[in-house]
Amino acid sequence: MGTFVQLVIDGLSAGSIYAALALAIVLVNQATGLINFAQGGMAVLSAYIAYAFLGWGLPLILAIVAAVVVSFAMGAVIERFLIRRFEGGDPDTAIVVTVGLLTLITGIAGWIWTYNNLQFPSLFPVASIDVLGAVVSVRSLGTTVVIIAIMVLLQLVFLRTKLGLALRAVADNPQSASFSGLPVGWLLMVGWGMAAALGAVAGALVAPQLTLTPGMMDTALVYALAAIILGGMSSPLGVVIAAWLIGVLENLAAVYVPAIGHDLKIAVPFILIFVVLIVRPQGLFGRKVVVRV
Amino acid sequence: MNISRKHSRAVGIVAAASALALVVAGCSARDDGGDGDGDGAASSPGITDDSITLGITTPLSGATAGPGTCTVAGVTAYFGAVNAAGGVEFGDGVTRTVEIETYDDAYDPQQSLANFQQMVADDVFAVTAGLGTPTNRAFREAAIDEEVPQVLVMTGDPLFSDREESPWQLGFVPIYQNEGAAFGELLATSTEEHKVAILSQNDDYGEGYVEGFKEAIEGADNIEIVGELTYEATDTSVDAQLTELAGTGADVFFNAMSITPLVISSLQKTQELGWLPSWFLPSNTSSPTAILQPGNATAFPGVYSVSFSKAPASPAFAEDEDVQTFLSDLAEYADYPDMPAFPHCMWSYMVGATLEQAFQNMTEPTRENFLAALNDISDFQAPLMLDGTYVDTTVDGQPAVSTVIVQKYNGTGYSNAETFE
Repeated sequence: MGTFVQLVIDGLSAGSIYAALALAIVLVNQATGLINFAQGGMAVLSAYIAYAFLGWGLPLILAIVAAVVVSFAMGAVIERFLIRRFEGGDPDTAIVVTVGLLTLITGIAGWIWTYNNLQFPSLFPVASIDVLGAVVSVRSLGTTVVIIAIMVLLQLVFLRTKLGLALRAVADNPQSASFSGLPVGWLLMVGWGMAAALGAVAGALVAPQLTLTPGMMDTALVYALAAIILGGMSSPLGVVIAAWLIGVLENLAAVYVPAIGHDLKIAVPFILIFVVLIVRPQGLFGRKVVVRV
Repeated sequence: MNISRKHSRAVGIVAAASALALVVAGCSARDDGGDGDGDGAASSPGITDDSITLGITTPLSGATAGPGTCTVAGVTAYFGAVNAAGGVEFGDGVTRTVEIETYDDAYDPQQSLANFQQMVADDVFAVTAGLGTPTNRAFREAAIDEEVPQVLVMTGDPLFSDREESPWQLGFVPIYQNEGAAFGELLATSTEEHKVAILSQNDDYGEGYVEGFKEAIEGADNIEIVGELTYEATDTSVDAQLTELAGTGADVFFNAMSITPLVISSLQKTQELGWLPSWFLPSNTSSPTAILQPGNATAFPGVYSVSFSKAPASPAFAEDEDVQTFLSDLAEYADYPDMPAFPHCMWSYMVGATLEQAFQNMTEPTRENFLAALNDISDFQAPLMLDGTYVDTTVDGQPAVSTVIVQKYNGTGYSNAETFE
């Protein structure tokens, strides 16, 4: 029982990282219709920015908050001056631009901060607590709790604020939103900014675990994309649940299914995707859009 | 634009990108270009009356860039100092400076093969010091075909020290089996009973360590292996494995792991799980400053590793002449002013000294003659080597250095461990 609970909570913690990144990608996709492959790279850059603030003597929590703020601005600026030129055009071109951006950001981070593994302090102590008779690390729990809190906050913003309403309007139909007098350009920037800020949180949570390197988020990005496909692009909550599902199932399959074991566990989420997409092409929680003729 | 079109396109793009990534990862271009003429009479490419050019392909970017940068820095520092003093007097009476060309392979085998082909085009005399088993393996056959020496490379793969299989190769650092066996021997001499949990990388690296370890404990009835798991070199977390192994109640943990961040997170995770065994760690992932301090290794009853190199960061060697010369060379000639966080800096410095030995015994400016001279070095104590270890290139099946000393972490550096406590 103890091992089981540990595996589930560790799985949730890993899944939370994928979820944060996936949420950011969904946020951008809902606002602009693009898939931002550079989301992971931007998260790494945010973590480096936090690292730089730490170096200037800021306490950890303030450094992370500062990085979140800077990342918000960075996301908005990237949208305004780079992505804006490709919106409404051929989406495939825009995809290539984001892939290029990923490569560029990784290179810049390596050039400024070297490719060495940098130590990034954790928000959580190296300690454990007792949950249902299992020894569970504070870091795993903390990571999960932080992501849940952010999710709730996002939901509140989207459902309870004017800004959220406007963002949803732009995502739903940019043209109508624009005719209704909404500042669509600003809102797109805010969408990208929020996604980058979310990425910054994910980066700060991952960095202590993997040590800070320019390629730190590459694997997480693949899992995040898997979670998006599994959960459905149109459902933020679905994406988070899918990410958790992937993290937990992967862990459990490795330990309890001898045929899979630790060496094949990476295949678990992808087998899951095949199965789900065959049954429900729109993903577990995605909306099936019916077009009336 | 309606949502379903948008969505299905997004899915399509993700799928296409994933497929593309798989294709790129799966194929590898093979190029058997070039035709080594192996003409032994004239001088080989890469050597003139003024200089000899060595090539290094090693990871200078990516996850292994830290140790990779070190493999260049040590050799560059050594020959920087030698060149500043006028160069090396070769066995044929000519004094030459040693030039070093470096190529980044980011620990990617395809890139290292491409780099090797570039080196052939750039007229490199010999390839040396580069880090990585898959990356060195990627151009091993090409090096044999082209008859270019690939020597004193940083891999514990026994293949490189098999003279039959690899006539143009020689490994520098101890093979994985040497290290695994050293741990096993120490444990077998213990007067107590021990339960061992093993986590190993699912490749030749991990298997080599485990093989050497198991051979050494064979017949020792005080040692029982109670758990044995593997992980993939591409994994970003081994939490599930550690959770499973913690359940075995082992008091000794042999972690044959080559990935720096994973070792740090393993140290942290086991503490979080409340599992506090004694550790055995490979020589390339047991750096006090880069791994053990961030991993808070003092929480464990003992962390053991093997070494054949003096540790510059250790107070025990602060006054050591070798160490002081090494550090000043590193800062002056290799643009590496920091205290090295990885042993590869010291190892590649020793590679420089070992190459110099071979150069001094070369009677002709040819690659064949260089190999013969290189394979004839015995009992050479390179600078920075610990007492009891030495370079010996004359034994088939063994790398240039096959002797290691088991050491125990003392909170700052390592001290020699005579017994397992």
